[in-house]
Amino acid sequence: MTVPSNGGSRFVSRARRLALPGAAIAALTFLSSCAKDAPQDTFQPKGDNARNIDKLQRTPFYIAGAVFVVVFAVVMFCVFKFRDRGQKIPKQTHGKPALEIALTIVPALILVGIGIPTVKTLFMLAKTSDTQCVINVTGQQWWWEYDYPVQEGCGGITEPIVTSGEIVFPAKMNVLLKITSRDVIHSFWIPALNGKRDAVPGRVQTLRMEADHPGIYAGQCTEFCGLSHAYMRMDAVALDAAGFETWKTNQLAAYESPADGTAAKTGESTFLTQCSRCHQVNGLVNANGDPVISRPDQYVYSGAAPNLTNLMTRYDFAGASFDLITDDCRDKLWSAQPADFSALYLQGVTPECFDPVNLREWLRNAPGKKPMYADPAKLGPTDGKTRGMPNLNLTEDQIDQIISYLTERK
Amino acid sequence: MFTTGSKLFLGGTVLSLAATLVYGATEGGGPLGTIGLISVTLVFAFLTGINFWVRDSNVSSMDTAGIESSPAAHLAPGRSMWPMVAGAGAALLPVGLIVGFAITWLAVIVLMIAMVEWMVQAWSEGASSDPVYNLGIRRRILHPMELPVLGAVGLGLIIFSFSRIMLHVPAAAGAIIFGGIATGVVLFGSLIATKRTVARSLVVALCTVGAVGVVGAGVASAVAGGRHVAKHEIPSYAEGTCGADTSGEADDKSSRAIAAKSNLAATIILQNGKLRAEVIGVAGNPDAVTLPRSTDSFIRFKNLDNGKFRLVVNLGKEVVDPKAATLTYREVKECTQAVEEGGDQFIIIKPAAPSPRDPSAPDQYSFTVPGVDSAVLGIVVP
Ligand code: HEC
Ligand SMILES: [Cu+2]
Repeated sequence: MTVPSNGGSRFVSRARRLALPGAAIAALTFLSSCAKDAPQDTFQPKGDNARNIDKLQRTPFYIAGAVFVVVFAVVMFCVFKFRDRGQKIPKQTHGKPALEIALTIVPALILVGIGIPTVKTLFMLAKTSDTQCVINVTGQQWWWEYDYPVQEGCGGITEPIVTSGEIVFPAKMNVLLKITSRDVIHSFWIPALNGKRDAVPGRVQTLRMEADHPGIYAGQCTEFCGLSHAYMRMDAVALDAAGFETWKTNQLAAYESPADGTAAKTGESTFLTQCSRCHQVNGLVNANGDPVISRPDQYVYSGAAPNLTNLMTRYDFAGASFDLITDDCRDKLWSAQPADFSALYLQGVTPECFDPVNLREWLRNAPGKKPMYADPAKLGPTDGKTRGMPNLNLTEDQIDQIISYLTERK
Repeated sequence: MFTTGSKLFLGGTVLSLAATLVYGATEGGGPLGTIGLISVTLVFAFLTGINFWVRDSNVSSMDTAGIESSPAAHLAPGRSMWPMVAGAGAALLPVGLIVGFAITWLAVIVLMIAMVEWMVQAWSEGASSDPVYNLGIRRRILHPMELPVLGAVGLGLIIFSFSRIMLHVPAAAGAIIFGGIATGVVLFGSLIATKRTVARSLVVALCTVGAVGVVGAGVASAVAGGRHVAKHEIPSYAEGTCGADTSGEADDKSSRAIAAKSNLAATIILQNGKLRAEVIGVAGNPDAVTLPRSTDSFIRFKNLDNGKFRLVVNLGKEVVDPKAATLTYREVKECTQAVEEGGDQFIIIKPAAPSPRDPSAPDQYSFTVPGVDSAVLGIVVP
């Protein structure tokens, strides 16, 4: 059989036409793996646990890469060398026990070789006996809450601390997260620090965290959990030991009501009428002087809303999805050197860095900013409770006052 | 003149017209029924017309020679039991309406089966002038439905009979009979497998005897009724009392009731009059258990002390009615059933409000054991 010559040349010219874009795509894919701004890169571990995983995966990755190259080369060689030029079909053989046995034993050995260190690493990652600090992590649609139980660990915690979005812990310390969920299954993953762990309602699962250096490490929910799954992000923040002590003290500092006559004071009363039924601000008292205890369980489907006592010690909100600071300040924070990071982080949202746009949009219409089933018309299936924060139809004045009030929550 | 199909639809038209008249005249139901029946009549009339016009679609209405020679022009041969079955179904239907729903359902099912079988048979008999071929296509269409259904019904009958037998004979005998029958089946199976010469009729006879035996014994046992099975009574306990009185309750084998044994929020152990907690990921026994708010926390209670004890979860107080003029409060309290020494109980708690921040405030959250004053363990809800 002969290939018609025009067909052959058509094939060649098509191959030529595809070669350039093909090469470009390949090069792009390859180059993108060297991207600098890739905080969720599993190949760049920043702590012991992630490093253990990385060490484990690298060898099989290279072996698999080599196998791929060899197999691909052999296939290509055969495709070209033995292509149909009208030659006779060669003599067919069937079965070759020696080769077949070898091809069974070699992969089995490779698997055993991968299996032993895998099991070892699994045990290392499951260890809890060397815990130095325990943090409860609770997922819900669509943000994470972190609470620090009373303990001797974490350098001593006398009163529980509750925060959200950014999980703060001391660097170089073996932290144990106890992960659960309030509604559906979520999954907690900070790629630079460890693998992922599912947050399952009713079950408490542990995950080790350790960061070599102070810094901020990005992550996101990795179990599809509904409409705003993509907005369910989290930042892990490692501080140096002294910095963590400062952070704790600050989180537990007594509440300071805004000065009388200020916009923030008006904001406080608006907050009391509009927000405090869902959001806890520790130390906030009502007109009678009684502590205000939020009851999100009565209004929100998951039963929780973020604690806003220290909102401005965090840099983003609503599932770590929207910044409270300008892009410049954000870049500075994310690129800070480990030695400078803790001090910079502990400044909180400063007036110079504060960018109210996102927060303003949020207060104007939260479900507009982050899709949530908070439409009153559709609340039947959730017992009349909102999924996420509803639109509260605040006036622009109220929003201004609340923002002044919130900027003092540091 | 009239083709078979149009005769059928003509009959339908006449019948439904009569039904419409009777129904409408007696004003038995609302307008909906009348409209429905009129629609049925119209549809039948329409189908009659179409069938008449196209001569059952068998041959072109212009092809006069074809009309004469078409299978539909000949009287369809063969006997059929389906008209009889359909008749039985139709008779059962009113009986069911009077006697009970189950019979109505049976009638509907019988009717539907009869309809499908009858229609396919009638159609296949007119498919060609070759009866063997016609039988073949009837089988091809209906066997994939008939065989699984018949198989399932047969198997169901055997299983049901077997279960009746097992429920009738004493519990110990059940095991022996089970073993005996199973052995018999294996022996019989191996006999057929090894001795290919076994006469086919012998196999059929043995199978028939076996099946008839099982079904017969099953029917007899079902009539005779099952043996007495002692129930494992779990005494109910008055909810909300959570007191020290544990008489008349306690689930002796309660640890069987606990399926969730891992990834619990905490295990609370009563030992030597004291409560201690084991918390996942935390070494030793913490002084207080911190549980997230609004979250289902799974707690396991283990009693290692001599006696029947329950675990009580005290979650402070809540307002009974927030809209009342003077607020009244009630304790938020939950508890497990009492459990014997060595037993376990399981409780899920979901604290709605945080525990008091001030450790000296009243209404602290805690685990307690009624009747054991020294058994107290704090709960912190942030
Ligand atoms: C019905 C309950 C409810 C009310 C009322 C409510 N919120 Fe929210 N709020 C939520 C929920 C739930 C979230 C979490 C949404 C998410 O991240 O998906 C939230 C998130 C927030 C956040 C982001 C916090 C963080 O750390 O991520 C801010 C800020 C906020 N709300 C402010 C307010 C203010 C100010 C008011 C009053 C004007 C208010 N909320 C009223 C339920 C409520
Ligand atoms: Cu999620």
